[in-house]
Formats: sequence, C-alpha cells, structure tokens
Amino acid sequence: MTSLLNTALNALEQVVLEVTDAKSGTVKLLEGGSPWASDLFPQASAQQAFTINDDTPFLLDFLIDANTIWQQQDNAKLHSGLWTEITTNNTVLHLEAIAIKHEKRNILVISNQLENFKIQQQTKQLAREVLLSYDRLFLKNEYLHTRLLSILNQPSDQSNVLSTLAKVIENAEFAVLIASKDFTTSIENSAALSLFKHNDILKAQSARPIDILISLMKNQLPEYERILSTGSSWDGELCWILPPSTLKWLKIGLYPVKNKNNQVESWIIFANDISTIKHLTQRNELLAMQDMLTELPNRFAFWQTLEEHIATKQPFYLLYVDINDFRRHNEFYGHNEGDKLLVEISRRIRRMIKTTDFIARVGGDEFAIILSGVDSKVTCELAIKRIIESINKPFQTKKSELFSINVSIGVANYPNDAQSVEELMKFVDLSAYNGKKNKKNSVQFYSKSMKDASHDLIKIERELRQAIVNNEFELYLQPIIDVKTNCINKAEALIRWNHPEKGLIGPDDFIAIAEKSGLIIAMGEWVISRSCQIAKAINQLGYEIKISMNLSPSQVTDDNLFSHLRRCINDNKLNPGLLELEVTEGVLVDDYSVAEKLLSKVRMIGMSVSVDDFGTGYSSLSYLKKLPLDFLKIDRSFIKEIVTDDNDKAIVRAVIAMAHNLNLCVTAEGVETKEQLTFLVNNSCNSVQGYMLSRPIKFDHFITLLNEQKAIS
Amino acid sequence: MNKQQAVEKGGDALIQKKICLLGASSVGKTSLVKQFVEGIFSEKYLTTIGVKIDRKTLSIANEQINLLLWDMEGNDSYNVFQEKYLRGAAGYIIVVDQTRTSSLLEGIDIHTLARQVTDCPAILAINKSDLLATWHLDDSEYEAYQDLFDLQFLTSAKTGNNVEQMFSSLAELLLKREKNDLTT
Repeated sequence: MTSLLNTALNALEQVVLEVTDAKSGTVKLLEGGSPWASDLFPQASAQQAFTINDDTPFLLDFLIDANTIWQQQDNAKLHSGLWTEITTNNTVLHLEAIAIKHEKRNILVISNQLENFKIQQQTKQLAREVLLSYDRLFLKNEYLHTRLLSILNQPSDQSNVLSTLAKVIENAEFAVLIASKDFTTSIENSAALSLFKHNDILKAQSARPIDILISLMKNQLPEYERILSTGSSWDGELCWILPPSTLKWLKIGLYPVKNKNNQVESWIIFANDISTIKHLTQRNELLAMQDMLTELPNRFAFWQTLEEHIATKQPFYLLYVDINDFRRHNEFYGHNEGDKLLVEISRRIRRMIKTTDFIARVGGDEFAIILSGVDSKVTCELAIKRIIESINKPFQTKKSELFSINVSIGVANYPNDAQSVEELMKFVDLSAYNGKKNKKNSVQFYSKSMKDASHDLIKIERELRQAIVNNEFELYLQPIIDVKTNCINKAEALIRWNHPEKGLIGPDDFIAIAEKSGLIIAMGEWVISRSCQIAKAINQLGYEIKISMNLSPSQVTDDNLFSHLRRCINDNKLNPGLLELEVTEGVLVDDYSVAEKLLSKVRMIGMSVSVDDFGTGYSSLSYLKKLPLDFLKIDRSFIKEIVTDDNDKAIVRAVIAMAHNLNLCVTAEGVETKEQLTFLVNNSCNSVQGYMLSRPIKFDHFITLLNEQKAIS
Repeated sequence: MNKQQAVEKGGDALIQKKICLLGASSVGKTSLVKQFVEGIFSEKYLTTIGVKIDRKTLSIANEQINLLLWDMEGNDSYNVFQEKYLRGAAGYIIVVDQTRTSSLLEGIDIHTLARQVTDCPAILAINKSDLLATWHLDDSEYEAYQDLFDLQFLTSAKTGNNVEQMFSSLAELLLKREKNDLTT
C-alpha cells in the first residue's frame, strides 16, 4: 500500500511531510521520494526528523503563515503560491507548498509545479508582452497628440504651422495624418505611406491612406456617422483586409481639432500597426476575446455574442454605458487611476447583472450589456436602476481620495428598435451620446423622436454657428433701479437671437444648446465685446451706467476669458468700473477655486461681481464669506409671492439682512407690482429689476429712457 | 528563527540579509539580479512567476554578507502586490523603467504599501538607463521622489551600469545599521 502511495505521489510530483514541531519547523518525510525532493532536502532521510532552515528561505518564511493553520483545531489548508528554488546541486525547481491541518495532524505537502509553472509563464508572458506594447503605444500616441494639438491651436501663419507639423510627424514611429474637415489630407508622414502600401500590382495607383481609413471606418464602425456629425474623437481597432496578401490590424486614433466656434477644422489621425500584438493575443483564445484591463470580453467578443443573440430571435435589451468626462478624470488623477476606475466600474456592473446577461468593454470608457431574455421596459429599467445605484457609490483613488462619476446609458430593444447588430449599436451609441454632456447620470431609451430631436439639435447647433459668423445676435438691456435715488444705475445685458427665418428667439431656446456644444465660449466672448462697446457708448453720452453680463459655467473655466475681457476693456478704453459679471450659485460651488481666482482678478481691475438667481441653488453661505462678491440678486421666485407668502417674506428679509452684514448689496429680480416694490423698499433692498420697471429693451430705447429720466430730474 | 540575525555557517560568521526586488512587470527586476549574480544579460524577456530566490555573498570591509535576493513577480493586473513577502526583509529595491512613466507611478504605489509594513531601507532603481528616458519629470519631481528613498540609482541591467554599486551600497548600509544596532 505504502509503495503504491509512494508511486502515486512520485507521479504527482509531491512529497508529504509531517510536522513534528511547528515552532522550530521540524518535519519528517512521510511519503514520496522523487530525486528533486532529495535535492531540495538533502538532510532528509526516511522517517528521520529534520528542520527546515534557510537553505529553503521561501519555505522557511511560509512556515510562519502555516503555523496559524497548524495551531488551530479545525481542518484547514493554506497554499504558499509558486516559488522557484535553486538547490545546492543547481537544480531549478518550481514549487508550491500546502500546509494542511487534518484530523489534528499537521501536514506539509511540497509539490513540484513545473507544468503549472510553464502554463502560467506562457500565458502571463504573452499577456504582459501585449500589455507592454499597448502601454508604449498609448504613451507615444498621447505625447504626439498633445504636441500636435498645441501646434494646431497656436495662432500663426498657415505655412509655418504646416512645416512645423510636417517636421514633428515625420519623426513619429507610426502613421500620422492631418486632414481637413472633409478629410482631404494636408500632411501625411512616411510611416503612413508605408503602412498603407500594398502589393497589388494589378492596380496602377494605390488608394491614399486617408481613403483606405475612411472606407474601413465606414464599414466597421457603426458610430462613424455620429462621430463625424458631432465632431467626436474615437480610438479603437480596425482590420484592413485586401486579398490576396494584406491583412493588418490597425489601432486608430481619430481626433478633431476644433476652432473657437467648436467647429471641426481638421482631423488628426493616428494609425498603428498592431498585427504583431494581435498575432500574440490570437495565440491565446482567451486573450483574443478579452479586454486586458478589465478582463471582460472585448469589442470583438461582444460583436460575436450580439450576433448570436440576434440569431436566436429572442427579444433582449442592449445597454451602452458611457462614462461622462472620463478624459477629464484621466487628466486629473492620471491614467493609472483611470484604469483602476474602469476595472472597478466593470466589477460593480458585473455584480448588478444576471449571470445570463453579457457585459463587454467595447471602447475606451464604454461598456455594452445585453440583458438576455428581457422584453419588458420595466424590467430593463430595474436593471438600469441597479447599475446606476452601484455606480453612484463613491470611488476611491489609491491615495484614498473619494470621487464620484456619472454615466450616460443608451438603451435599445431587439427586435422593436432594430434587427441588425450595426443598427442596434448605432442606436444605443446615439442614445448614450444624447445624455453624454449632461453632468448627471442619464438614461436614454432609443426612439424615433429622439433620433429626430438629435437631428434638430445638430441643426440648431449649425444655425448657431452661422449666427455667430453672421452677427445675428443682439444685446437687450434691462434697467436696474437704485432704490435710494429711484434712478437707473445699472443694466443687465441679455442676449437675443435675430433668426433669419424664425424671428426673435429668447435665450431659453438656445443657451442650453450653446452650452452643450461648446459654442457658449464664442457667444460669451461676443457678449463681452458688445457689452464693452455699449458701456462705452452710454458713458460717452454722459451717463455712469454699469453693464452687467452673465457668465456661463463653461466661461468661468475658460482660461482665455480674463485676457479677452482685458482686451475688450483696453480696446474700448473703458473704465472697468462700468462692468459687472453675474455668476450663478451653482458655478461658484461647483468650480469654487477656479471661480475664486477669476472673480478676484476681475475685482482687482475694478469690476464688480454679483451672484445671480440667489436662493435657487445650493445657497451655501460659506462661499458668500470667502468669495470676492459685491451683489446678491434674489431670484424672481421669492419675489413673486412676497406680498402674500409669509415664508417668502421671511426669506427675503433674512437674505437682505445677511447680505448687508457681509457688506453685500441686494438686487431683487422679477419685480412686477407696486406692492412688491414697496415691500422691498421698506426692507432696505438696494436695487430692483423687473417688468414693472422695464422689460429688456433695445439699446436705442434704453438711451431714450435714460434721456427721459435725465429730463425729469 | 530571526533571519536578520547573523548566522553561523561553516565556521565563518556570515551575515545574511533578505532583499526584495519589487516593481511593475517588465521593468527588469530579474535582469538586475541576473546581472548582479551571474554577470550576464539576456535581451529576451521572460516573465517571473511567483518568487525566485538567488544568493550572492559580498565582501565589504573584511566582512562577508550574504544577500538573499527575493525577485518578485511584477505587479500588474495579473498580479497584485503582496506585503507578506516583505516579512523579514532587511531592505527592498523598487525597480522602475525610465521608458515607462506608468512604472514609476506603480513603483511609488508599491513603496507606499510597503512602508505600511516595514521601515527598512528602500532603494529606487531607475532601470534601463541604456535607453532614452521617455518620461518628462522636472527637477522638483525628481527631488520629491528621491526624498522617499534611502538611495537612488540609475541602472542598466544590460550594460551593468551601477548594478554592482547599487547592491554594494545597500549591503554597506545594512552593515552599518547592523553595527549601530549592536552598539546600541
């Protein structure tokens, strides 16, 4: 029996030792006696106790952990993990130890893990080579992308930019193309020409790299139209097959270069030949279908699974989860933290879906989920609710900083919304994109009306761009009256759009779109320029009237805002004391440090600052003390019921008292009746604004009003 | 048994110290050990699985010190850092690859975790000095990282540059600490 056991253990490449004294590490060889075991323990002989010493330091160290098992009463097992030992005979052994407590006996099994070691080494070797290649690729791309963007954004003469770009990209190790917005190549490097060179002798002239790329994107990328129409960036993999001899895997980066009006002026395109990396991964089926980082199935595995699901003709819901502002997160915390976040999100989502559902990482910050067999919208919504709840919980950086993220989820149903892989992907992508720039979590179910609305939105964006170029905007002025003097001392500049077909359009119908599309920066700059001209013109007529301008959240974080402001003031030779900036509470709280810096600078040059819509947002009083402010504007919603509602009365009185304590003046917005005005005057409000006094009016009308006021006084 | 204590071997007083080599995967930990112990370098990358232990005895100021070099599998998404392997270590070397910024960040993270379990001397080995550095660190960043470690070396496992010096300096530092411990 013993001999048979010995044979079996030798075949299993194991030796069994009984621990006779756990503290000193004294053991006795029970069974097994392969030559490698004699090499490892030359001091061991049958049934003779010996002590494990620092000839085997890893094992000696493991005994400390093993002791915790051996000292307890219950049956237990502990694995040491693999280690490599070079014996005194210079034999290389790949081993693992297992400490066992079984029926009060302390056992130590040493197992020769050569085969397991080889398998692990092969798999990890491959995985790490791929990881390393991607890491290097990513670094090179990122570095060049930043450099090219900085060159393209520099205002200098065109020929100079092109020659600088040509020099920079020629040295790149991968294909780089700079193309105009309609994809006409401006520059391409030698690497691009050689990457897309093929041996097709039948064709007299090979296709240009840009044409090949566009055709690949059109055929392999359901998101292609959306990317182009929205000027988004994309990176991912494409396969270029040109029989009989060309098969290349390409890692593509497509980045828009936008002008001030947020219009795409050109495209930067990177193409890396990753065929070797692909070849490496394809040697291992798991790696070929798996995303290396999150260990989720990758885009190709997803594609396959989606096709399989469609083939079963069973209904299901497809979700597309897109992380909002992921790039910003990456820039702020670094790419390692970005990777960590992706892994954590994938884990959280995986825990929230059923085992029969399918999740894959289909893009940089995008996950796709198939809710198998779900045909009811309510069930789908429940699943989404669980996913959002799990993502809503705070995340933690390696340095234990807490942060939270938001996602946009696009949803489409098979077979109701679409019946093909391409259409389903296109629809969920579009749905997710619709909520993408929203700072909150958003869920968009695909619908025909959403598709139409999306087209409408793109149309309005286009018209807004045109409006900036055609100078279709106009500033209206709403007078603000100083309660003490009963005279106009300020005016709020309010933008209107003179649409060539639709007529006069109020800000509510286009500011949100301008904010979402980034056009608000150009529009805001126009407002500043025009306000400065107006303030100067009024001043030249002999009036000291301050013009108050509204700042949007994006403008507050725009690095160029202050320099633009200074330039406009200088150009108009304007006293900055005749200008005021209005910011909302939300901006102050969300971007406190940025807002604080900007507001300090504008006050330093003599402008004043007011908080708009006070009371509707966070109403955090701490920022009132800390920030450089001059005025609070009480929101119209409090003024509306001020005569009848005791709560509103109390709030307005409290706000005025608090503001005065902090040396801030108060303006009441939305004053429409005499009773409201009386209340405000009696409660020491400093100034008032509203339809009762004047609606927003055109510049000429405003001047007339000032002249009339002067005539009366 | 306390492995940090000097042990008697073959009649000679031999001081034995455990040194751990830590860092992201593919930074060259195994190559540094191979260069130091065997004086050879191989261009072929062969990933380490688990732990591999090598030994080398150095003679420093008439004293023999035996270094037990625990070459650890690199840390990445396939293998997380395990503090337990630092148990009994007299010192550790964080190896980073100067052609990959991410390896430096990973190295600093490992160092932070290691510092939670040991205060033994720590060395930063900026490896692959034979290749062009592709990280863009300014002087203040360099200084900030330098301050975190007892010693810092720019090494090349390929050319052997600074490899011997690094291990010898660490050995000297450990001997010095050993003497201080004995006298106090």
